[in-house]
Amino acid sequence: MPTHEEFDVCVIGTGAGGGVMIEQLTAAGLRVVALQRGPFLKPSDFDDDELRTVIRDQVFSPDQIETYRYDAKSPTETGKFSMTAHCVGGTMTHWAAWSWRFRPDDFHVLSTDGPVAGASLADWPITYDELEPFYERAEWEFGVAGDAAGNPFASPRKKGYPNPAHPGRTASARIARAARKLGYHPFPTPMAINSQPYGGRPECVYGGACQQYGCSINAKATTLSVCIPKALATGKLDLRPQAMAREITLGKDGRARSVRYLDDKRAEHEVFARQIVVAGNAFGTPHLLLMSTSGSFPQGLANGSGLVGRNLTFHHAAAVNFTIDEPARSFAALETHVALDDLHASDARRGFIRGGVVAEFNMLMKQPLAFALTGLPGYPATRTWGSDLKDYLRKFPHAIGAVGILEDLPMEENRVDLDPSIKDHYGLPAPRLTHRQHPNDIAMNRWFTTRLLDLADAAGAVDKWSAAAFALPNERAAMKGSAHFHGTCRMGDDPKRSVIDRWCRSHEVENLWIVDSSVFPTSGGYNPTLTILANAYRVVDHFVHEAKRQNL
Amino acid sequence: MTRREFMLRSAVYGSSLWMLLNTPRPRALRAAQETARREVLSEAEWKTVEAITGRIIPTDHEPGAIEANCVNFIDKALAHEDAKMKPLYKKGLAGLDAVSKRRFAKPFVDLSSAQQDEILAALESGKAAGWPRGDATAGEFFTTVREHTLIGFLADPKYGGNRDYVGWKVVGYPGGGHHLGGYSPAQLIGKEKIKTAWGEEV
Repeated sequence: MPTHEEFDVCVIGTGAGGGVMIEQLTAAGLRVVALQRGPFLKPSDFDDDELRTVIRDQVFSPDQIETYRYDAKSPTETGKFSMTAHCVGGTMTHWAAWSWRFRPDDFHVLSTDGPVAGASLADWPITYDELEPFYERAEWEFGVAGDAAGNPFASPRKKGYPNPAHPGRTASARIARAARKLGYHPFPTPMAINSQPYGGRPECVYGGACQQYGCSINAKATTLSVCIPKALATGKLDLRPQAMAREITLGKDGRARSVRYLDDKRAEHEVFARQIVVAGNAFGTPHLLLMSTSGSFPQGLANGSGLVGRNLTFHHAAAVNFTIDEPARSFAALETHVALDDLHASDARRGFIRGGVVAEFNMLMKQPLAFALTGLPGYPATRTWGSDLKDYLRKFPHAIGAVGILEDLPMEENRVDLDPSIKDHYGLPAPRLTHRQHPNDIAMNRWFTTRLLDLADAAGAVDKWSAAAFALPNERAAMKGSAHFHGTCRMGDDPKRSVIDRWCRSHEVENLWIVDSSVFPTSGGYNPTLTILANAYRVVDHFVHEAKRQNL
Repeated sequence: MTRREFMLRSAVYGSSLWMLLNTPRPRALRAAQETARREVLSEAEWKTVEAITGRIIPTDHEPGAIEANCVNFIDKALAHEDAKMKPLYKKGLAGLDAVSKRRFAKPFVDLSSAQQDEILAALESGKAAGWPRGDATAGEFFTTVREHTLIGFLADPKYGGNRDYVGWKVVGYPGGGHHLGGYSPAQLIGKEKIKTAWGEEV
């Protein structure tokens, strides 16, 4: 008999993957302990104060430290490179809520496009058809608002969206008109934000603070607003905020046995569970596994393949800003209201494979500090101060942004590992990112930037410029971080070439599961969150089924 | 619950939107609300910083950084959140005057606008004759003051700059939408006016 309390499941991380697991496992009657770095925030902790939330980052990840290097030969910088949120609900808490289903070929890039030199392409072990019912479930649980008939290039679906599309702003209408003029097929971007009261949450008031903000009225669907309340209501969840997992221990039987974690005072605790689910995102998950070394796993837990932390994908974005001759009202409503998918399909004749979705994007002009500090680089001003700066600032009301969310190719050298010298806030080795773009990414980025500039012209652009925060003008200009990160514990059927199996269960440690974006073998040309949610519903169905048959 | 019902309930029962206004505030914010008096900068430094901000966002037919009181924002930031930048400011301001005196035989505040611009351009390029040797570079100092000036101009007035919302008025930003109760679909496309944080209908 163990002398310590043993939970059925320990879930590490409460974002898109962990939140769904926690909700569904507790609904099935399992006793779950959930560990989350950072506080348990309430809607009343969120406001639209740009300085506090975005510029000073005092709400979501004040203690984040990472290091970055371009490649193994390049110098290392210390800073914040990934856009994460350390709080209950994880990074989904400050997501913008774009909610896409991947296309069927996104799951089979290697078979569709063939091998590419320098890239570690792989097929997912699952198909779109297997995931389709779970996409539907995610859309209905999270109340996605959209027009199911709007995108002629969308994946096949059996059921529409639960909520109608949101009305757009002036900028959205201008982009939609321009897209039609160029022969594209614009449609409302599907968003997991209530367009009418749904799921016990109110409709959106279009205040504008979505991406990088918590929603102060819970109109935005997050695991914090949707999953955690339901899980707590079952009485089966022991939710532990301010708990930074530092090691998963291994028992003599080769099964994961406990999780050691540090609280906000750096005091160490240990919690025991029969099953352990890691959902710390594509940075946090490999960081934890690599710190969990033992005799059987000297290079990190469940890392016999050596692939834990490798094949990090970021997406790369092409972004163009422009101004029009009337107020665009980009400061109001959602991050995006209109998108087009005409340019998405892979076509090697363009000089690169893969592609991505194009959409209206107000990140750089929804609030004035973002516009002033991040929107200016790339703008053709003689000087970045004085009357040139002031004239630029006055363009704020007329500014519109457009973006391509572009699939990047995985490379084994792009990775997350442990920095050998820099420690984080907890005294643990800081996660170190090594990341550069594949030549395919650079070619794709250039091509999409040109298409976005054409779109701006068709929308009647007065000024237009390519936003330097996103552009990849040359091979050396790598993105150092992203809000989308995937691939560092890829799933696959072959234990030598993947970290987890098709059920997101470790090939090597039978009671260890990974359910977040780190399982994606390739990144897809869409924002990843709906796919993380759908995959979590798929995995947890299997998990509960096996648990009921006493197979775990 | 419709939007209207939600807003009504917020007003009556004081739910989320009311709670927003009572969010715990950072220290600089409280300080800025309590006093606009100098906390970190000396009187001479205050005048010099104010003069720099006035060249970064100049006053033209509309107010600029001086009217927005960006220097007060900077003083409060240096007292609290950006306290680690105090040495950079102290050294940078001394360096600025050294460069000004070498080029024009006067401290920065006594120069004409054109002369001040020439000095700032030299700092920005990192080729400022007379800049003292040491760990703070001229370019780093210029970039920091430039960024602080922009933040002072455009952050919420509660942080001590953007006085009377002049920054937001100049750039045409109405204020945080959630604080203002959001916008209707008609307002999103300009069919109805919206109310700004300072109570104007635009």
